[in-house]
Amino acid sequence: MARMKFLCDADRCIECNACVTACKNEHDVPWGINRRRVVTLNDGKPGERSISMACMHCTDAPCAAVCPVNCFYTTADAVVLHSKDLCIGCGYCFYACPFGAPQYPRVGNFGSRGKMDKCTYCAGGPEADMSEAEYVKYGRNRLAEGKLPLCAEMCSTKALLAGDGDIIAQIYKERVVKRGYGSGAWGWKTAYRETVAI
Amino acid sequence: MRESDKKALDRRNFLRAVGGVSTAAVAAASPIAASEAEAYDPGNDETKARYRETDHVKAFYRTNGYETLKK
Repeated sequence: MARMKFLCDADRCIECNACVTACKNEHDVPWGINRRRVVTLNDGKPGERSISMACMHCTDAPCAAVCPVNCFYTTADAVVLHSKDLCIGCGYCFYACPFGAPQYPRVGNFGSRGKMDKCTYCAGGPEADMSEAEYVKYGRNRLAEGKLPLCAEMCSTKALLAGDGDIIAQIYKERVVKRGYGSGAWGWKTAYRETVAI
Repeated sequence: MRESDKKALDRRNFLRAVGGVSTAAVAAASPIAASEAEAYDPGNDETKARYRETDHVKAFYRTNGYETLKK
């Protein structure tokens, strides 16, 4: 059985934030919530690195481990989803997640934040596939449509990969073998000189 | 012990007694206490695999790999 994974090729990501925008648009994500974010390390310095982050759909998900109402479930293709009908907005998953994936529509204390929202790997939720109820709560179900998450599909530099973990790992290995160490991008050494430490 | 301290203690004991009685009454009357907690059990339909290797998905894999450039 294929296991769904995200893989961000940090050597290719140019911090354009198109994945963030596409995700918000595709799923009608409310103000204040970003299911995906681009994090930049050493911003503005030679050799800076950007990486697009969202829910990593962990195998042994810490959010699911701490949820007091057990609203998380993992699908057969290893996507971690949750039920907004059961969520009580306690915020435990937010503290447990190492990637900052779970987010809430309102700022508040225990229970007043509203239902938790996170990346669904474009796989909807417990409601019937591609139904109106599913779209309103979780956004579009592209996986059921035979597609992959939009963030990865529209990435202009093809930095963000999504799909079967074995296949995208093979694609990444292929890239590393081809380009060698560093980005291999055209003009890299002209811009940053030979001496730049990567 | 001063008179005011004694009064304070009485008040605390009163609240403790009232609290204990009301908790026991609620526990006895509540239907929740009689049933066991059940974890959410998503059905097979919810957890089924939705991923399919369609032509659309294959095109994504093909255009992301270097092998494409060779062809």
